[in-house]
Amino acid sequence: MSAIIIFTLLAIAFGLLLGYAAVRFRVEEPPIVEEIDKILPQIQCGQCGYPGCKPYAEAVANGEAINKCTPGGEAVMLKIAEILGVDPQPMEDGAEEEKPRMVAFIHEEDCIGCMHCIKACPVDAIVGTTKAVHTVITKECTGCELCVPVCPTDCIEMRPEPETPRGWIWPDPEKILPTAIPRLDHPHP
Amino acid sequence: MKALIKAFSHVYPMAKRWLKRFPGGVYPDYRKGLSARHPLQKAPLPDELILPLQQHVGAPAIPTVEPGQRVRKYEQIAKSAPGLSVPLHAPTSGTIKAIEKRPLPHPSGLPDWCIVIEPDGQDEAGEMPIAIRTPDCPASLKEMIWQAGIVGMGGAGFPSWRKLPDEHGKIHTLLVNGAECEPYITCDDLLMQTRPQEIIAGAVTTAKCLGAERIIVGIEDNKPQALEAMRKAASGTGVEIQAVPTVYPMGGQKQLTEQLTGVEIPAKAHAVDVGMVMFNVATLAAIHRAAEHHEPLISRLVTVSGEGLAEPMNVDTLIGTPFKALVKLAKPKNELNYPLIMGGPMMGHEVMDHKVPVIKTTNCILANPPEPVEPAMPCIRCGECMDACPVNLLPQQMYWHAHAHEWDKVEKLHLFDCIECGCCSFVCPSHIPLVQYYRHAKGEIRKLREQQAFQEHARRRHEAHLARLEREKAEKEARLKAKKEAVKKQTTAAEQEKSAVPSARQRAIEAARKRAQQAAADTPSTEDKRKAAMEAARKRAQAKAGQTAPAAPETAQDKKKAAMEAAKRRAAQLKAQKATQKETNRTEPKTDPAKSGETPSAEDRRKAAMEAARKRAQQLKAKKTTENITDDSVPQTAAATPEDRRKATMEAAKRRAILLKAQNTQQTRSEAPQTESAASTPETDSAKSGETPSIEDRRKAAMEAARKRAAALRARKANSTEQESDT
Repeated sequence: MSAIIIFTLLAIAFGLLLGYAAVRFRVEEPPIVEEIDKILPQIQCGQCGYPGCKPYAEAVANGEAINKCTPGGEAVMLKIAEILGVDPQPMEDGAEEEKPRMVAFIHEEDCIGCMHCIKACPVDAIVGTTKAVHTVITKECTGCELCVPVCPTDCIEMRPEPETPRGWIWPDPEKILPTAIPRLDHPHP
Repeated sequence: MKALIKAFSHVYPMAKRWLKRFPGGVYPDYRKGLSARHPLQKAPLPDELILPLQQHVGAPAIPTVEPGQRVRKYEQIAKSAPGLSVPLHAPTSGTIKAIEKRPLPHPSGLPDWCIVIEPDGQDEAGEMPIAIRTPDCPASLKEMIWQAGIVGMGGAGFPSWRKLPDEHGKIHTLLVNGAECEPYITCDDLLMQTRPQEIIAGAVTTAKCLGAERIIVGIEDNKPQALEAMRKAASGTGVEIQAVPTVYPMGGQKQLTEQLTGVEIPAKAHAVDVGMVMFNVATLAAIHRAAEHHEPLISRLVTVSGEGLAEPMNVDTLIGTPFKALVKLAKPKNELNYPLIMGGPMMGHEVMDHKVPVIKTTNCILANPPEPVEPAMPCIRCGECMDACPVNLLPQQMYWHAHAHEWDKVEKLHLFDCIECGCCSFVCPSHIPLVQYYRHAKGEIRKLREQQAFQEHARRRHEAHLARLEREKAEKEARLKAKKEAVKKQTTAAEQEKSAVPSARQRAIEAARKRAQQAAADTPSTEDKRKAAMEAARKRAQAKAGQTAPAAPETAQDKKKAAMEAAKRRAAQLKAQKATQKETNRTEPKTDPAKSGETPSAEDRRKAAMEAARKRAQQLKAKKTTENITDDSVPQTAAATPEDRRKATMEAAKRRAILLKAQNTQQTRSEAPQTESAASTPETDSAKSGETPSIEDRRKAAMEAARKRAAALRARKANSTEQESDT
């Protein structure tokens, strides 16, 4: 009889303790949409079929395919797969090779000041006004290419961002020096 | 003890490591004699001086001169950018040839902005740009060092002012780095031999300003002449001169600090945090020149050495002198068709273009004919690199992860504590260029961070963009609304002006409406109401009859009145019907509360419809009464002007239309109770009364339209007859 009482009391005590701990030390996980949005490249190009990175993140959280982010490529797809705990899906147009950051460039002699590109820019990286020459703030351009098709005079061109000594990094030694080391296809454990 | 270890090192070479305090280190072939045995030379004035805007760590300077402008020696030609930056000064007098992109002595080999000066050979001095004459506190010392454009001259190029604290006395020990541990380089050695007083004076000034109590100079013991000269110069000043063991990388800041003081600077901390600061001997000499002669940093000593040169030497050269001119001075053995190296063989990097200029951090130009590069073999996990690492890292582990591009894991192994000294690469038996992997990994991690920051920035900009669009839309809508309202006001104002004449009538209408409402309130029972209505109708009819008798000769008026009477009769009927309807309405609310919980929307709709119907009925009543009043009391005014007449007819038509409508609604009402009684469920009831079946609806609408048309026709006819009678 005393055993039953003791264990009942113990059960109640632990139950209360655990219940309190569950409330007091609850870990609040960040919303999954925010997490996915953080991974997406934020180019806002709309190539996924959504009007920006956040809407795509929301769609992915609701079960949209995770392989639609072309600029992010396979790396982003794998990260999303990891977050959502789903199987990786192959990218739609195969393995995309790494491209340098592209920025829009306006040939100013052809610009007629129509404001079309300014309206298309998702990050307000083009300055100008009606009937005045527009120009791109290179630092802010995400390279989404949304301004290229809307230009009536085709004066916008995507150019690789000029390399400066400040942005330069030491190259991968495996690509420049003779090596007898077999390249690792799979990461070392 | 030292002698014993040195003797033992012949048997076990790595025993030499026991002589020093910091771990690891290597013993390369120094070959310093190549350049050190020749006297210091003065470099000739080159054809052009190329001054890169960025010669230091941080932000590039901003040019303050224009091409074509003449500048004099010491004049500032580029001001310091905000943040971590230093100004730039003209090394000699001449004309600004251009401000353009030129190749830099940078491992990337990429061109960047440079100010190109064409010297005129007069070497005419301008005003000294340093405003602070005698620094006496840390702040003024910092200001002076910043104005003089002094950066760390040992090779890193960190702006010196940034290394200093603001508070007096925070630094207790000033360390002077004269170790010069890289092979081949002897420029600091020569400086210590030729200008020891400058170094000592600079150190004393700095220590005084900072409130430092001790000054320790560390010089590797392979430079006996420099040690001797410095000891001589330091005698009586309280400056300690310490000979330190010759080991690479003794010249590293953290390594030399540990060797001289026994204090290991923690990772991610600076020397300032432990109360110490270290300057290179060349930097201190420059500080002395700035403090004593108010001279900015425009020249430095450079070692020009290497196996490919016949006469390696040290030169005192202006900053901006092309490498080519200096190498020519050292008489290359063969044609220089191989890349030169800036810095030492351990940490230096190749420069692709021989025309790159000497910058503030160039301590050595090395012309070593290229040797065949041994291909890298797989790592055999011998652990040599681990023993050689002066910062106790795990180079092979870092290499594995860097090789696999697992940047997060490399970073966890304290990649950013790596000083890139190259000891690991030097000792690797597999010839793996380990340090290149770490440099690449550091770059990749930095790039990734920048990218993340950019992404975050782009996201915020996009959000701001969307917010702006939203705001603009709202503003546009608000503007449109305001415009519409303005237009409406104008039109109503115009209408009011127009209807200024019949305003009396409007007032009457209002009054009648009120009266009607009162009447509706006064007659609660439907029976009463019906009776009252009937009575009223009768009375009105009598009144009409009375009125029509005297106005008999006017046939048109007669006709109109007859029509009105008919309408009135119809209205009376309607009223009666309405009363019945109200009765049903009143019976309904009893069941309503019960139903409301189940079908709130249908109920609401029905109520709204009823409410609307009631209002319409009231309006109708009111209008009718007003019609009576106006028609009865002021027939003369109504007939007075043609406009009034037209209005009256229109009103009549309207009234009739409303009447019809009311009748229609009444019809549906009369149908509704039947269905209600038949169907017990509230859903069907609400559906019938609220959303009448579409076919019925349509039919009614058609009927109504037809009736309206007929009414309009009648009205027109009446109007025309009236006009005829008038004329």
